Amino acid sequence: MKASIEWLKEYSDIDVTPEELGEILTMSGSKVEEIEQKGNDIKNVVVGKILEIEEHPDSDHLIITKVDVGTEKLQIVTGASNVNVGDIIPIAKDGSELPGGVKIKKGKLRGVDSCGMMCSIGELGLELTDYPGQIENGIMILDKSLENKIGENIVDVLNLREDVIEFEITPNRPDCLSIEGLGRETAVSLGKKFKNPRKNIEQKIEDKKEIEGLKVDIEAPDLCYRYIARVVKNVKIGASPEWMVKRLKACGMRSINNIVDITNYVMLEMGQPMHAFDIESIAGKHITVRCAKKGEKIITLDEVERELNENNLVIADDKKAVAIAGVMGGLNSEIEKDTKTVVFESAVFYGGSVRKTAKQVGLRTESSSRFEKGLSPENALRAVNRAVELVELLGAGQKVEGKIDVYPTKQKINKIPFKPEKINALLGTKLTKEEMVKILEELEIKIENNLAIIPYFRMDLESIADLAEEIARFYGYDKLEATLMKAETTIGLRNKEQKIIDRIKETLVNCGLSEIYTYGFVSIEDLKKSNISEELIKTAIMIQNPLSDDYKLMRPTTVPSMMQILANNVNKKNQEVKLFDISRNYKNIDNQVEKGEVPLQEEILTIGMYGKEIDFYVLKGMLENVLETIGVNRYDIVKEKENESYHPGRCANLKVGIDIIATMGEIHPEVLLHYGIGRRAYLAEVNVTKLVKYAKQNKKYTEVPKFPAVERDIAIVVPEEVEVGEIEKIIIKKGKKLLEKVQLFDIYRDSKIGENKKSVAYSLSFRDKSRTLKDEEIDATMHTIVAELEKTLGAEMRK
Amino acid sequence: MKDKIEKIRENSIKEITDCKEIVTLNELKVKYLGKKGELTLVLRGMGALSPEERPIIGSLVNQVRDELESCISQKEKELEKKELLEKLKNENIDVTEPSKKVELGSLHPITQIIDEVKEIFLGMGYEIADGPEVEKAIYNFDKLNTPPDHPARDIQDTFYITDDIVLRSQTSPVQARVMEQQKPPIKIICPGAVYRSDSVDATHSPVFHQIEGLVVDKNVTMTDLKGTLEMFAKKCLGENTRIRFRPHHFPFTEPSAEADVSCFVCGGKGCKVCKQEGWIELLGCGMVHPNVLKNCGIDPEIYSGFAFGFGVERIAMAKFGIEDMRLLFENDVRFLKQF
Repeated sequence: MKASIEWLKEYSDIDVTPEELGEILTMSGSKVEEIEQKGNDIKNVVVGKILEIEEHPDSDHLIITKVDVGTEKLQIVTGASNVNVGDIIPIAKDGSELPGGVKIKKGKLRGVDSCGMMCSIGELGLELTDYPGQIENGIMILDKSLENKIGENIVDVLNLREDVIEFEITPNRPDCLSIEGLGRETAVSLGKKFKNPRKNIEQKIEDKKEIEGLKVDIEAPDLCYRYIARVVKNVKIGASPEWMVKRLKACGMRSINNIVDITNYVMLEMGQPMHAFDIESIAGKHITVRCAKKGEKIITLDEVERELNENNLVIADDKKAVAIAGVMGGLNSEIEKDTKTVVFESAVFYGGSVRKTAKQVGLRTESSSRFEKGLSPENALRAVNRAVELVELLGAGQKVEGKIDVYPTKQKINKIPFKPEKINALLGTKLTKEEMVKILEELEIKIENNLAIIPYFRMDLESIADLAEEIARFYGYDKLEATLMKAETTIGLRNKEQKIIDRIKETLVNCGLSEIYTYGFVSIEDLKKSNISEELIKTAIMIQNPLSDDYKLMRPTTVPSMMQILANNVNKKNQEVKLFDISRNYKNIDNQVEKGEVPLQEEILTIGMYGKEIDFYVLKGMLENVLETIGVNRYDIVKEKENESYHPGRCANLKVGIDIIATMGEIHPEVLLHYGIGRRAYLAEVNVTKLVKYAKQNKKYTEVPKFPAVERDIAIVVPEEVEVGEIEKIIIKKGKKLLEKVQLFDIYRDSKIGENKKSVAYSLSFRDKSRTLKDEEIDATMHTIVAELEKTLGAEMRK
Repeated sequence: MKDKIEKIRENSIKEITDCKEIVTLNELKVKYLGKKGELTLVLRGMGALSPEERPIIGSLVNQVRDELESCISQKEKELEKKELLEKLKNENIDVTEPSKKVELGSLHPITQIIDEVKEIFLGMGYEIADGPEVEKAIYNFDKLNTPPDHPARDIQDTFYITDDIVLRSQTSPVQARVMEQQKPPIKIICPGAVYRSDSVDATHSPVFHQIEGLVVDKNVTMTDLKGTLEMFAKKCLGENTRIRFRPHHFPFTEPSAEADVSCFVCGGKGCKVCKQEGWIELLGCGMVHPNVLKNCGIDPEIYSGFAFGFGVERIAMAKFGIEDMRLLFENDVRFLKQF
């Protein structure tokens, strides 16, 4: 909302600068967006008169002029072709400034001294539409009557000075979308008296069923709380006076004609949008406020045809819709040059409906943006009476006595129990009752019998908390102390999952991984590019109103997000990339979403890597580090061949208990190809939500051994397809309690060993914590181990 | 005999003194003091001496022997020292050659800001709460005093899955869930991802992160809110940070405020980050609206509370000097490694 300070002064004395006023109002809740000081950017530009014109000796398009600027006569060279001797024009003298920071200095044009510049409309920052008769590509020619102002500042002569503040008004304060409302805030904020110049409007007007043949009916009282019509006749459509045009312009509105300007002026002044119809264009002179019919069409004032439906409220006559209620009028009932009788509409519609209609037809207007916040029906009457008053003031027509006032739902006056101690308790202040009452009364809130009586224009005030805010605003938010709570002690601790996630992150950072953040959105194509199974794709959650096709789904897996980031890094030619991310997947299982339930959302750790030193085992090692750091010691690593995102020969699942906690492996060459990654890359997905269950936080000390261990090495030859994990399982099983450690130290392949065979060597370590072991007992154990390896795996001992 | 001993003494001491290596010294030790050493032989030959001479010669030999031993031991130390110095000299390295460090990774700037905030509030006795990102509209809106026709529910701003399920547009639904499940005193912060229908550009992202705080207890006041946020701002942004409350409006708080902090880049003098204003809009806050307390089963006549919330990306960008929000989600490893 823009407000000119000149207009605000009608409501409150203002004895501070625009900047100071902006600061004060910001601190009382009307936040300043911008302060515009028109006219300040024009310096040292005066009215001048052309005395002589002669040709330039060295140019056929330049002329040399002599100009009277009051104090002296200047020689000015110009290329303008629309000037003549005797013209009164704006002159930017040497050292002057124009809008946009342009500085004018004297200089030479083709060898001839020029001591200033004649200005065009554009150079003065003015608009052609405000100065009819002027041209764009030429000097501004002023009225001859200004001859007696030669030498005077153009800003004063043309009355260009204007201080305008633009406010950001919060949606709870539609009353501040008016000069009156802002004037009230200004007065209270500055500690001045609110002048209330419109007090005299609140006069009783006789209610009539019919005026000049006009009748009004409301068919949808739930969407229209009040509809008032007043009529003016013998209307003379014409231009509005300069003061009104200037105020409209300051608030960002263009002048159209006196009647339309009055509706806009009243809206800006009092916050009530109005509409004016030509009574002759209302068929049957009968206005009905009703819902549109499905498919009903109307051409609005902006000459666009709009299609409506039964959720849209319209103002209609007996044949057609003449306006979209609260949004915009129809072209069919527009005020024309020859309009003689005007109907002013001042109505209040249900905000939610106006907002939805405005959105639906794609028209957010000054009117709809006020209605949607909920306006006061009481104010509607003041506004229409003010409009009629202005018609007479401007001599634009003659009022017809009486009003048609259909008011099905009377505005309720809120009464809030006034409890000063409760307000102090909420704010943490120690204000007296009298101090509070003073603030409230300045805001026109009366206190009677410990009840706060809320004025009609403050429909946002409903509870004691609202009163507390009003008191705090004018006591000063900046005066509130900064205290710390005196309350029961609470313990701030991270829970188990939070601690574990923090530890995992720490471990991975120590492993050289960098954390990434990705969006949860994916497209079907992204999922397909990552070879995600159809079964999983089916659980993806669809967004009704996605930003784009790329962001249509909530991802059921984090794989495509990581793949995209790996691809980004490949494109940037990064050679060593090690990344991780802990964020969520989202799965709609058992139609939870359709049932209105929250779908499954699990925390997933995703690792993605490529680089010279990186292979499957590096990745596996990192996952093992993660498990170790959170105390998960028992797990199985099982080959996985079915997951199509991964290389079928280089992928494994990590199982803890019955749960598959993680999948890791080399990314499938097809997937790499889809993402344009021309090298091997590695991926792991860890379900942190499931993993947390198995994490142990309490570690226990076991005694460091006192007795020596017995070390034995063993080398066996097995068929290539035997996994070393199987060998280890047998060793562990047969090694029983005394076996302390099994360490694979060599895998060896050679033609001497045989085709499709490999030699695997282990170092075994046996220990009893209470005694020194004898060689013989270990020999026996070794023997059973070897026998079992030979039997189950077809292993041969290497000598 | 005496002369012979004296001769041995003279020769051996000379040899020991001239000796240059440990090996030679050991040989000398054997030569003079060993089982068949010259001095030992003298002792053995004592049988041929007269009884009168024996003690005299015996004591002389022992005297020489002691002298030799101490001489050898002294030489030994000298040579060992020499050898060590030699060794150290040969083991000289160039300390300016590249190190063999273990390469470390990095936490994302968003995590770093969240962690910093968490630590401050954990220290003040707050717990960390979390909830669903794909959330029921009733928690994201209705319980938070945002009824069905409210503009904040517009499809232009919020992502809808169904009419009843949305992508949370704020972390506040976590507050509603905690208030329903937990009895006061409640002191929580809720960090997390939120979703709004904004196209991606240098200052907007459809996914961003918020941290909200909520306190509900008896006698919680607006001055407590100010004190808490001032403490937070000082710990997070620097001890000289000042905080300023401006009245504002949110559906779920009343009274509501926007809190500005003195610019932590220029200290309030005016710079690019604070757009020359000296203040940076940090967060929205206020006293929990009585309707919200009621909706979540808490009696506003007994309890009061405050809530606050802010965007993590904005703070991360201002603090780390990142000018384009897209960098945070592009995840170029050369960007990530800087933090």
